[in-house]
Amino acid sequence: MEETVGTARPGKAAPDFKAEAYFKGGFTEVTLSDYKGQWVMVCFYPGDFTFV
Amino acid sequence: MQVLSVSTNSKFVHKMWEEVELSKMVGGDIPFPMLSDGNGRIGTKYGVYDEDAGIDIRGRFIVDPDGIVQAMEVLTPPVGRNFDELIRQIKAYQHVRATKGAEATPSGWQPGDTVLRPGPDLVGKVWKVWKPK
Repeated sequence: MEETVGTARPGKAAPDFKAEAYFKGGFTEVTLSDYKGQWVMVCFYPGDFTFV
Repeated sequence: MQVLSVSTNSKFVHKMWEEVELSKMVGGDIPFPMLSDGNGRIGTKYGVYDEDAGIDIRGRFIVDPDGIVQAMEVLTPPVGRNFDELIRQIKAYQHVRATKGAEATPSGWQPGDTVLRPGPDLVGKVWKVWKPK
């Protein structure tokens, strides 16, 4: 998977990342490139327990 | 389609938020991984990390099966997203991909509406096949 330096832009490869995650009662690790072959929606938001 | 949510909260806070609030809002478990971007590195790669506030602002990115970003929408925190538009975009991109780009979706397209077949024949003739609503 190629390295992308700089910010994500439509038409360009999505920058890969690995992160700790919470999923259905457990903790796990998620890597974006593991999902190649599927459509993925990466959804950022400001914070848990906030209002919108 | 796989959804991955990301905020700068730790995995512990995600667990608590799901238990205390989200599960009541949706009536069950959250069906996708909630990622932790504590140091803002992921947000920085996607241009949504606000260093001063230490949070990721409201950005969402549609990534196709080849790992290419097809669409993005970034909002500042006070305003929420429109899911209808998001679903519409996903369906449109999936349609375009299924036809290998032979068909494109015009403005306001909904599944079942007229699509456009880009090519020399269509130049100057889009008005014949499609009208704005």
